[in-house]
Amino acid sequence: MNILFTLKEGMINLKRARLSAVVSILSISLALSLIGISLLAGENLRDIFDRVYQQVEIEVFLQPGVNAGKIKQLRKKLARDTRVTKVIYISREKALEEFQKNFGEDLSTIIEENPLPASFRIILDPANASPKLIEKFVAQISQYPEVQEVLYQKEIINFLHKYFRIAAIAASLFALLLFVVITILIFNTIRLTIHSRRDIIQIMRLVGATNWFIKSPFLIEGMIQGIAGGIIASGILYLFTNLVRDIIFPRLLVPDYMNWFLLGIGIFLGWIGSYISVNRYLDY
Amino acid sequence: MIEFFNVSVKSKNRLILREINLKIRKGEFVYLIGKTGAGKTTLLRLIYMDLIPTAGNVLVDKFSSSNIRKREIPYLRRKVGVIFQDFKLLPDRNVYENVAFSLRVIGKSRREVKSRVLSVLTQVGLNHKRYHKYHMLSGGEKQRVAIARALINEPFILLADEPTGNLDPEASKDILNLLEKINKSGTAVCMATHNYKLITWAPHRTLLMEDGFIKQEIDPDNLNQILEL
Repeated sequence: MNILFTLKEGMINLKRARLSAVVSILSISLALSLIGISLLAGENLRDIFDRVYQQVEIEVFLQPGVNAGKIKQLRKKLARDTRVTKVIYISREKALEEFQKNFGEDLSTIIEENPLPASFRIILDPANASPKLIEKFVAQISQYPEVQEVLYQKEIINFLHKYFRIAAIAASLFALLLFVVITILIFNTIRLTIHSRRDIIQIMRLVGATNWFIKSPFLIEGMIQGIAGGIIASGILYLFTNLVRDIIFPRLLVPDYMNWFLLGIGIFLGWIGSYISVNRYLDY
Repeated sequence: MIEFFNVSVKSKNRLILREINLKIRKGEFVYLIGKTGAGKTTLLRLIYMDLIPTAGNVLVDKFSSSNIRKREIPYLRRKVGVIFQDFKLLPDRNVYENVAFSLRVIGKSRREVKSRVLSVLTQVGLNHKRYHKYHMLSGGEKQRVAIARALINEPFILLADEPTGNLDPEASKDILNLLEKINKSGTAVCMATHNYKLITWAPHRTLLMEDGFIKQEIDPDNLNQILEL
């Protein structure tokens, strides 16, 4: 196959149908921007929930009289657990100090001996912070002989998890719906562009061009449109994210892969849209 | 060279062609005549395998419609030239580019394209207008460009589907003369036409089609029959 000829024909096609190419590029870029925004929303929603989960602490109260060696061993064991991201040891003295700080009362004036047990505060990896996994984790560490009691904010976690799931399902459904609508929109735009050039396809078939030779310029054209759409969408998202950061949400998270993802989706949609559309004219 | 064996074509429960048996020999000139809808265009489409018969078999050179693979069809079309009433040219390209296009799309080198295009444009008498744009050409000249494009791959047969349908009598005669010249150089011609008068100018084997079958083969020496139709 003559690649130069194919490239040249692809460019000629674009030049010849400038208006439909511009419409096609604009619809791809608009569509990709919407996909990008829904992706941003999903990522940031996940980030917000991760942050909330990172605030959820599991308090592991130790039996009275557990010696320092056992405490050290248990701490090591907990820290090694892949589900755990942070382990903080709270000695009895530190617990008393925190109590006084939080409640403004000096317990030593009421009771002679410090009644508070030593404990560990554990923060789990957000990936393991589902109610079931937390329950499993808690049941597991409750078995240790050094542990007296394990407490955590079960209701809050259940509540968060429930609403996060609803939000995640809603966001995924929305993104899927958006993707389907956008794919149909892009396919139709490309189909119209190719339909307006069915004569050239017919001529190519008549003079004995192979199907791949006929398709190639259209595929290249579709990919160029996809690349252009991806670049424009990246620009739109750049402006959008800056605006959101400045006005509403300074902590807005923009995934590193975003631009490449949009470019990739753009090329893929441009290519597959052209492939399917041009195939309709290539029965025999 | 081309043979039809009991060929039928059905579309939407309607028979468009019915049990056609036909042989077109090497270098022959054949007219297909008949009313609109008689099946002339369908018969031509079967030869360049734009259509595959629903029954029977079409043999074109070494290709058979019953077992040809999809990917082989382009190679068959390089051996069969086709022209149409509406020329089917690329309106945004000049004469040279229109003819060269059919060689470029089959991957020929620029040098080979140039020499062959110039030679075939000379053959159809349009070399001096090779840089003329589509809109600068008359109907007859457009059809000459289409003929040049069809001839560029040196086909063994040229299929002409109402080639004079859009032309005045003078231009029609010119095109017919050109087709005669091409036929004399060894290329078979199969021409579907409504213009029965043309046949009297250049008589050849003539097949009358009606309702999807070949009703009658008219003797070239008995052309009055045609004018009576």
